[in-house]
Amino acid sequence: MNATKTNRMILILSSLFLFSCNSFLEENPRDQLPEKEIYTNANAMYLNTVATLYNYIGGYENSQGLQGTNRGVYDLNTFTTDEAILPTRGGDWYDGGFWQGLFLHQWGTKSSEIRATWEYIYKVIVLSNKSLETLDEYKDKLTAIQLSAWQAEVRAFRAMYYFYLMDLFGRVPLVLSSSTPMSEVRQSDRGEVFRFIVDELMAAAPHLPLERSNHQGEYYGRVTRPVAWFLLAKLALNAEVYTHDQWTTTSRPDGKTIYFRIDGEQYNAWETTIAYCDSLAAMGYRLSDNYISNFAVFNEFSVENIFTIPMDKHFYRHQMQNLFRSRHYNHAKAYGLGGENGSSATIEVLDTYGYGTDSVDTRFTICYFADEVHDLKGNKILLDNGEVLVYHPREVKLDLSGSPFEKTAGARMKKYEIDPKATKDGKLSDNDIVLFRYADVLLMKSEAKVRNGMNGDAELNAVRERVGEPWREATLPRILDERQMELAWEGWRRNDLVRFGLYTRAYHSRPQLPDEANGYTTVFPIPEDIIRLNTNLKQNPGY
Amino acid sequence: MIFIAYLTKRPFIALLVFVLLMSLTNVFAQEYTLLPDTVRLEDVIVVGYATGSDRTISGAVDKVDEEDMNRGKISNPLDALRGKVPGVHIPPPTNGPAVLDAVRIRGTTSLTGGNDPLVIIDGVFGDLNMLRAVYPADIESFTVLKDASETAQYGSRGASGVIEVTTKKGKMGVFSITYNGRYGLESVYRNLDMLSGNAYRRLAVEQQVGIVDLGNDTNFPDEMVQMGHIQDHYIAFGGGSESSNYRASVGFIDRQGVIRNNAMRNFTTKVDITQRAFQNRLVLDIGVFGSLLKNKYLNDYQKTFYSAATFNPTYPNHKNPVTGAWDQVTNASQITNPLAWLEVKDDESNAHINTHMKLVVHLTEQLKLTAFGSYTYNVVENSQYLPTSVWGGGQAYKGTKKTEYLLGNLMLSFRKDVGNHHIDALGLAEAQKNTLSGFYTTVTNFTTDGYGYDNLQAGAVRLWEGTASYYEDPRLVSFLGRVNYVYGGRYIATVNARTDASSKIGANNKWGFFPSASLAWTISEEGFMKKYPVIHNLKLRVGYGLSGNQDAIDSYTSMQLMKPNGVVSVGGSPTVTMGTIRNANPDLRWEVKQTFNTGFDLALWTNRLMFKVDYYISKTRDMLYLYDVSVPPFAYNKLLANLGSMQNKGLEIALGLTPLETKEMDLNINVNLTFQKNKILSLSGMYNGEVMSAPNYISLAELNGAGFHGGYNQIVYQMVGQPVGVFYLPKCTGLVPNATGGYTYGIADLNGGGVSLENGEDRYVAGQAMPKVMLGSNIAFRYKRLDLALQINGAFGHKIYNGTALTYMNMNIFPDYNVMQEAPERRIQDQTATDYWLESGNYVNFDYLAVGWNIPLSEGWKKMVQAVRLSFSVNNLGTITGYSGFSPMINSYVVNGTLGTDDKRNYPVSRSYVVGLNVQF
Repeated sequence: MNATKTNRMILILSSLFLFSCNSFLEENPRDQLPEKEIYTNANAMYLNTVATLYNYIGGYENSQGLQGTNRGVYDLNTFTTDEAILPTRGGDWYDGGFWQGLFLHQWGTKSSEIRATWEYIYKVIVLSNKSLETLDEYKDKLTAIQLSAWQAEVRAFRAMYYFYLMDLFGRVPLVLSSSTPMSEVRQSDRGEVFRFIVDELMAAAPHLPLERSNHQGEYYGRVTRPVAWFLLAKLALNAEVYTHDQWTTTSRPDGKTIYFRIDGEQYNAWETTIAYCDSLAAMGYRLSDNYISNFAVFNEFSVENIFTIPMDKHFYRHQMQNLFRSRHYNHAKAYGLGGENGSSATIEVLDTYGYGTDSVDTRFTICYFADEVHDLKGNKILLDNGEVLVYHPREVKLDLSGSPFEKTAGARMKKYEIDPKATKDGKLSDNDIVLFRYADVLLMKSEAKVRNGMNGDAELNAVRERVGEPWREATLPRILDERQMELAWEGWRRNDLVRFGLYTRAYHSRPQLPDEANGYTTVFPIPEDIIRLNTNLKQNPGY
Repeated sequence: MIFIAYLTKRPFIALLVFVLLMSLTNVFAQEYTLLPDTVRLEDVIVVGYATGSDRTISGAVDKVDEEDMNRGKISNPLDALRGKVPGVHIPPPTNGPAVLDAVRIRGTTSLTGGNDPLVIIDGVFGDLNMLRAVYPADIESFTVLKDASETAQYGSRGASGVIEVTTKKGKMGVFSITYNGRYGLESVYRNLDMLSGNAYRRLAVEQQVGIVDLGNDTNFPDEMVQMGHIQDHYIAFGGGSESSNYRASVGFIDRQGVIRNNAMRNFTTKVDITQRAFQNRLVLDIGVFGSLLKNKYLNDYQKTFYSAATFNPTYPNHKNPVTGAWDQVTNASQITNPLAWLEVKDDESNAHINTHMKLVVHLTEQLKLTAFGSYTYNVVENSQYLPTSVWGGGQAYKGTKKTEYLLGNLMLSFRKDVGNHHIDALGLAEAQKNTLSGFYTTVTNFTTDGYGYDNLQAGAVRLWEGTASYYEDPRLVSFLGRVNYVYGGRYIATVNARTDASSKIGANNKWGFFPSASLAWTISEEGFMKKYPVIHNLKLRVGYGLSGNQDAIDSYTSMQLMKPNGVVSVGGSPTVTMGTIRNANPDLRWEVKQTFNTGFDLALWTNRLMFKVDYYISKTRDMLYLYDVSVPPFAYNKLLANLGSMQNKGLEIALGLTPLETKEMDLNINVNLTFQKNKILSLSGMYNGEVMSAPNYISLAELNGAGFHGGYNQIVYQMVGQPVGVFYLPKCTGLVPNATGGYTYGIADLNGGGVSLENGEDRYVAGQAMPKVMLGSNIAFRYKRLDLALQINGAFGHKIYNGTALTYMNMNIFPDYNVMQEAPERRIQDQTATDYWLESGNYVNFDYLAVGWNIPLSEGWKKMVQAVRLSFSVNNLGTITGYSGFSPMINSYVVNGTLGTDDKRNYPVSRSYVVGLNVQF
């Protein structure tokens, strides 16, 4: 063997070696799969582009999910209002001043919870963008009908998240692709975001199934056409707020001059609300005979509920933590569940219901635990020291530490039927969490009529009649009170108060902040950490 | 006397004075026994793939032989090494019997992981976990590589230092049997002082608050403890002939912790056989080692000790005879009856088996071919059961993690001496494949606790997210070349060049190149130094090198993949869907650490005084870090990327002093000091053409417990321009009286505009969590057959946040939670985290005092028995510290959620007394 031969040998051997090296160094994942192995057929496409998004609608971690968890969308809409309070109870619930901060509107611009909520909503939006792109990329696997129906469902779903986002944060970036470079992530005016959402929902609605979403079966938990209609009604009702681009300096536009086009016809904001409410009525939605049945353990049969977070302790991961964190420890224990003894009704709520008067609204005992409470057999519930557990609704205040009612002050959340078979301390129960329901539709319609100079008595009193309350004339203040009593614990209070211009007022335990009268707290700040990461973003006025 | 009082307050200075006094005795002990003590210097040192001696090594290498290892209570090999090598931190064994925490060599150099050193046992690569597979007495020596000029030999894995373990082998022509046994008792000498049942009752009356009084006076912290037991047995035998040798051992380590239900047992065995053939041209080594380690853990440290401290002391120390269950305090939602916690089962069985083979062929006098192959199989089974008393419905967990490590390398080495020239060189090709797989399942809703985790069918609910399995098999390929050149025994130069490729790294950056070079000059060998016979050895060293880190990268991070993301209703039935679960980064690269090291070795008076000093400066760049990214455009708010850099500087001083060395008596004093300085230089850089940067301050550790969820309880932060782990806290102006006759913490308005507790507002950098100076020292004295060793370790310059006191001194938690004895008189009614409870963490700990006696044997006995040794040790004698909390020996080193914060995780401080017997036949 001469030198060249040896060299050639070495060359061949080493290239062989390097080649085997390269395959040796390639990753062949087995417990995770590349996209091309996932999107193999139409069914897999639906599962992993559309259905997959519904995983995010509820949740079990803080700030994840639209309702049922802590420190997220629901809490920002609820504990910042006169509807609910999470008082500090000695060593419990101080949590670095977080809950007090929400109640006092002193949440600051650096709150990690507000940031987590922003990130949750945008995560779902970016994943929706990705789903739309995937549907487009693999459209050869789909029929034209499948493609348009599924695209519509994702677009409507994304529009719903943009609705929550715009409602909470005002001026937000419209990001419509999963590969948008950061330099192109810039905010749009609130009105522009609003118009985008309305247009998306209107465009998607005709392609969505005209089916009920709250009933078990094919469409369970999905964004169907009535869900889009409900959102459109809600958007139109709040159009004055949402088209108000300079909310701290200018006056609010008039809903009568904000126009929408439905089927070629032009309607003002209130007429638009009424139109969509009517569409829902025409589809057969009506009030359940029994208020409580909407919140029963098996509330999938409700004729009133429109959109829910499906709950099943055996199948799904979504949790309902709102009850868990409200009831006293021994109270929850009496049901065989866990409790964290926290959230309570405010003094304003008690007054609205007429608690302590001769004419307490019948919904108070449906929505709240107050005074003496009982276990499922009707027995009194005892505290560790042998005394009977009695809730003291009027003793509630922001910091109860040292109060004799430290652990017992406040009327607690009831509303949902107790599921004694619930697991995870009661957090995994079978009652579907109600996001949208028809009673709200009636109250929206009543309000839209009144705002449009019409008579809204019929709708308001339909809601009152169902719970045996006497007739009332529909005036705006009474509609707001009715919304409080009917929709307690349902996550709408902040939205309502902002629309009624009362969000920034002072109330029991909450003074108005300096400059707050200009309305700057009606939206949350753009999280400062997000602005730092993307310096194109501008803070909302007033922060 | 005043001076002594002064010294007790300043233990560090006291120690220096002590060392100084001891060295003065040196002056008086002029009786030099001028024995040539070159043996130590000529010891063969295995440095990575190469072997050499102090004379031929130019890098910074520390070797600890058996005689220098720790004595006393040794539960794992790291116990034997603690405090022996400057720059190597091994956490004190105060956290119970089973915890083998992270080890840091030259501090924290990476932010994301991979800070644990590489462990190599007889050529087998592994992690700290693998060290437990070896019985400490099987170890002949540790070699610690700290400096990149040597760690670069391990390229992508060497950035956090290397601990090489050489185990004992059979010796030619000598047959021996060894028995080592130990027995000891361990008892708690310090526990938390909370209000007694009676004091609790009295206080409730005074404060006119209603309590639940069950009429007892139970000291729950004391109820948790028991007398700990220590029992070790070890038998080894070996022998050899001209052509072969062997050695085999079995060991057993048994620990019953001072906390009930906390225990550890380890069975180890090891066999090594060497066969030589063809006039020693062929040498074949086969080694097998294995272990079965069983741990009974405390499931949740914080919950256990938080509950023990604050549980209502009027409750009984037994179950309620009526209900048959533990009574609970329902108002105190964050704690559970601590005695119920002791019924939690959290068991682990960790089985290791390794087999490896080495074939050495001496091709010529100079040329040697070595082939090495190793296979390690590790199975860890975790079983947990949380009874219905502590977890609604009970919960069982069972999981198995299997890891297989396959390693093979082929090495050609060359060695030649010509005149004054010595050259050795090697070339190496290496491949490694790890296969990690496992599964786990979680079951809840038990109607009886009787089955524990042994029959999962007893639970009704299997949560979707509680069951999973996984598989990954990362691979590495490497090539190394190394040349070591010595001229005239005085000038030494070493060059290493290693290239590694990893399957985990992005496709375009798979290969990393890690070169290093070092130079040394043995001045004492120079002719002109003959004039100074007092200088026995003087060697200057300088080195520079690169090493890498890829441990922070999980498999597949560079690819966008789909994983099951949950269950939704599809067509009315629950259906699993897939989704992406993180941001992928196809551009992942190696994290690279560059180190410059310089130092000198000095030995005077034939090694009576040895001095070794090293200074290093290292910079980690392309630092792997889970950066915050903006959502949108990203879907997830974290991205693993290579951005930013970090600097570490340090000075390491080792001093060995033999003031006395006679036939009758020896006195050896060893002191090592480590000065470390760490700084995050930058956490920003470019990714995908866009500037990315981490926040100015990132919280690392925060307080937990009732009322501490969320809000502003972050204590330790990571900030650019600061060391990793600084306390960034509101400044307390003192205690301010409040309306109810108590006090709250006054807070200074540091940045104007009113006091704000918000993150980043009105806070200042109040100190660092990691020690600036660490001390390890050992004093060994021998008088005839009696010997004595005292080990003292310490750490200085850092602070500790006393979150335990902040919580237990807050009278607002009373009576739902018990408070500390001083709390009522202090009347603090606040739990706002300020610098009020930030304290100096300086301490000096007396690790052990060990006494040994080599029993004289009569001639008759000597025919059978070679040596008998009796020993006795007291471990964890005591601590000198100004820290007012429970113990300053908390986590001050590892970057995680507990760094620098003493937060209700108070494992009682215990002392152990151990007797030992060694017999050699």
